[in-house]
Amino acid sequence: MSRPLPFPELVEERLPNGAVAVAARRPGVPLAAVRLLVAAGAGLDPRGAFGLGNLAALAAHRGTRRRSGRKVDDAVESLGAELASGCDEDASWFGLSAPAEHLPRLLDLVVEVATEPSFPAAEVARLRRRELAGLTHLLDDPGAVADRAILSAVLGDHPYGHPPDGRAAHLRRLSRGAVAGFHRRWYAPAATSLVVVGDVSPDEVLRLARRRLGRWRPRAEAAPELPAPAAAARSVLVVDKPDLTQTQIRIGCSALPRRTPAYFAAVVANAAFGGGFTSRLVDAIRVNRGLSYGVHSRFEMSRAGGTFSISSFTKNESAAELVEVALAEARRFADGGPTDEELSRARAWLAGMFPLSLETHGQVADKIADLRLYGTDVSEITGYRERVAAVTAEECREVARRHFPLDGGAIVAVGPARSVARALERFGPVTVAAPEAMI
Amino acid sequence: MPRSPERILDLDRVVAETLDNGLRVRVLEERSAPTVSCYTFYQVGSRNERPGLTGISHLFEHMMFNGAAKYGPKEFDRVLESQGGHSNAYTSNDVTAYYEEFAAEALPTVLDLESDRMRSLAIAPDTLEQERAVVKEERRLRSENSVFGIMEEQLGGLVFQAHPYRWPIIGWMDDIERISREDCLAWFRVYYAPGNAALYVVGDVDARETLEQVRRAYGDIPAGPPVPPVPAAEPPQRGERRAVVHYPAQAPALLAGWRAPAARDPDAYVLDVVQAALSMGESSRLRRRLVEEMELAVSLHVGYAWRRDPGVFMVFAELAPGVGPERAERALLREIERVAVAGISAAELRRAQRLLRSAVLHELATHGGVAHALGEAEALAGDFHQAGEALERYARVAPRDVRRAAGAWLDAARRSVVVLEPEAPRERR
Repeated sequence: MSRPLPFPELVEERLPNGAVAVAARRPGVPLAAVRLLVAAGAGLDPRGAFGLGNLAALAAHRGTRRRSGRKVDDAVESLGAELASGCDEDASWFGLSAPAEHLPRLLDLVVEVATEPSFPAAEVARLRRRELAGLTHLLDDPGAVADRAILSAVLGDHPYGHPPDGRAAHLRRLSRGAVAGFHRRWYAPAATSLVVVGDVSPDEVLRLARRRLGRWRPRAEAAPELPAPAAAARSVLVVDKPDLTQTQIRIGCSALPRRTPAYFAAVVANAAFGGGFTSRLVDAIRVNRGLSYGVHSRFEMSRAGGTFSISSFTKNESAAELVEVALAEARRFADGGPTDEELSRARAWLAGMFPLSLETHGQVADKIADLRLYGTDVSEITGYRERVAAVTAEECREVARRHFPLDGGAIVAVGPARSVARALERFGPVTVAAPEAMI
Repeated sequence: MPRSPERILDLDRVVAETLDNGLRVRVLEERSAPTVSCYTFYQVGSRNERPGLTGISHLFEHMMFNGAAKYGPKEFDRVLESQGGHSNAYTSNDVTAYYEEFAAEALPTVLDLESDRMRSLAIAPDTLEQERAVVKEERRLRSENSVFGIMEEQLGGLVFQAHPYRWPIIGWMDDIERISREDCLAWFRVYYAPGNAALYVVGDVDARETLEQVRRAYGDIPAGPPVPPVPAAEPPQRGERRAVVHYPAQAPALLAGWRAPAARDPDAYVLDVVQAALSMGESSRLRRRLVEEMELAVSLHVGYAWRRDPGVFMVFAELAPGVGPERAERALLREIERVAVAGISAAELRRAQRLLRSAVLHELATHGGVAHALGEAEALAGDFHQAGEALERYARVAPRDVRRAAGAWLDAARRSVVVLEPEAPRERR
């Protein structure tokens, strides 16, 4: 095995208010990556208010007690940084990549928008209009429509069963008060991690964190643990887009949470089945049959649960053939697992690729943020290659048997219903929906 | 106060050599991560094609993964992945670039794989048919079922009347169907010879040793025939050009383009600054005005990719549902005209320069980013050293440069505009 992974030493401190600051020095490019993460995400969106957490994260940098959103933009961008914020199912986050010499000022700004937003009513209303318009445009992106459709088809009523950017009908009703309320209720210091990685002094970062983040003492509550999603029976959904010449396909089912003893087995099984460019799926669908330009599978693992999904696209006439081949490959993998050659190739590929996911300050900061969010151990990073190398074919087979869409799970096709719906009936009861129902 | 230029990338450390067969080799030791990035740039893209054969550069890129004399069909990626690496490639108007990223121990294997396909690519009839089907799916994905893809093809035909940049890189569907095995063999013979290629190795390697390995792997490949010149003429544009696209989209969209400086033109750096001032960040000119203040657009992007010959500076706006395209177009073009006439403020210039500096530093933070930057600078601007100059060149742009270059290039009489007008979808089932 090659040289040890160059993972930086983490300097960590729990501040008096319960927030955690983590700093890591990485010499080289004179930049610093900043991530501020609050363990409160779209999984906490109330029923009928899907998109609330995301709107709160976006609106937070549209104004604070001290400056307008425009002043925030001017301050951040005039220092050569761009501030991004958003929300996934488990967390709300703020991030930027700062020229190292401007770190103190930029760190102040990140903490300020996350902890002291004023949510100006006009700005919240404007963002709501922009998000709604964005969802409308999304209907022109068949792949994005398919991604939204499979999420709901697999997870249904579970709190993870809606996309973080929400539903148009709900967004229209979200008030400024609801947005501010989400922040007041869930943005708790004990749920907050500040991560800084780069050409910086960890002592200096911790000093800044104590001064700016350590004094934040809101009255927020701890987020509840969510239940695990249930498995769903087989369903087929056709989202009717009559003018498409190509159908987007998704096949998915509920699968594993991020903290699971089967984590590395799932990583290796997915690599062999549909992760790498020489995986079973690519071979069967692209190389041997020319059915698609791209096909892949993935596990999405969150705190309370996750999904496994297969994604591809093909000309309308071959939509059913593609589904047939993908399901047959899933079954074959669950029955026999990877061959010795496939297993060793997948393990070598993952081990070789892993250092490439630790090249930039931002990548390292994201990995550290994930450690904080999921409570996983740093040895999952530093010992990644050894852990991957220890996975057996039987463990991969077991993952596939338990977590691939073999008999249950959902199939989604976004394309012209008149061309694809009937052909898909052989896989299960077909429902046809309008694309507007996906936003 | 004059400051010494910032040097992030020390290109004096690049070991550069041209082999007897013409292959240019550039190696840079970078020990920060135990990985290596290897790029091979072939100086061929859609620019080298002709009507009837559009898309062959890109289809050929796919064929390069389908077997050669030593490593047969399916073996390229299997061998590479089994050694902890991965590969991919892209085709542009000007180049076809192949890359591998891998654990340092795999370097000899990678050189063996890359030199094998340069020496002895096999173009089997059945794999050609399979890749043709794959590429047709790629065209359906990116061009036929994408609002931007449809509009970009129209814009190419407006901005260029004679130059090969007028057709899309992926080619027209009829041409993709027509390209023959003989066409591919000829393409390989002419454009994939070592004299038309350059190899960049960046990462955890010993530069001298690597050079020796490259000589051993590639030295016996014969130099190829001379590459035919490209008919690069383009008549001057003397007035606005327009196209309307009808498509069942949710809302209108606008795509405006201007012929823009080639990579070798010093104005290329200035136009990068203009691009950043107009659209990088929430406080950029166009995003603040059209997205935030007037709420005419939902998203706004300015694209300016460097090319060998004068390329395109383009502005793409997805409009808010209900907004009339005429009103949005007037507002958009008014902002561009303001920059063309009056330039930008000193604060806007400083902001754009700082954002570009961060972007360059990001690019140079990875081995792959450095290798690609070297290759692109050499392929497009003629010298890999230019990759190390970006920080200094951006820092040197003055307000008067912006005013002059924007006035010269973003002239109303030289623009082309594509408007997407939504039409009702076909009846649903």
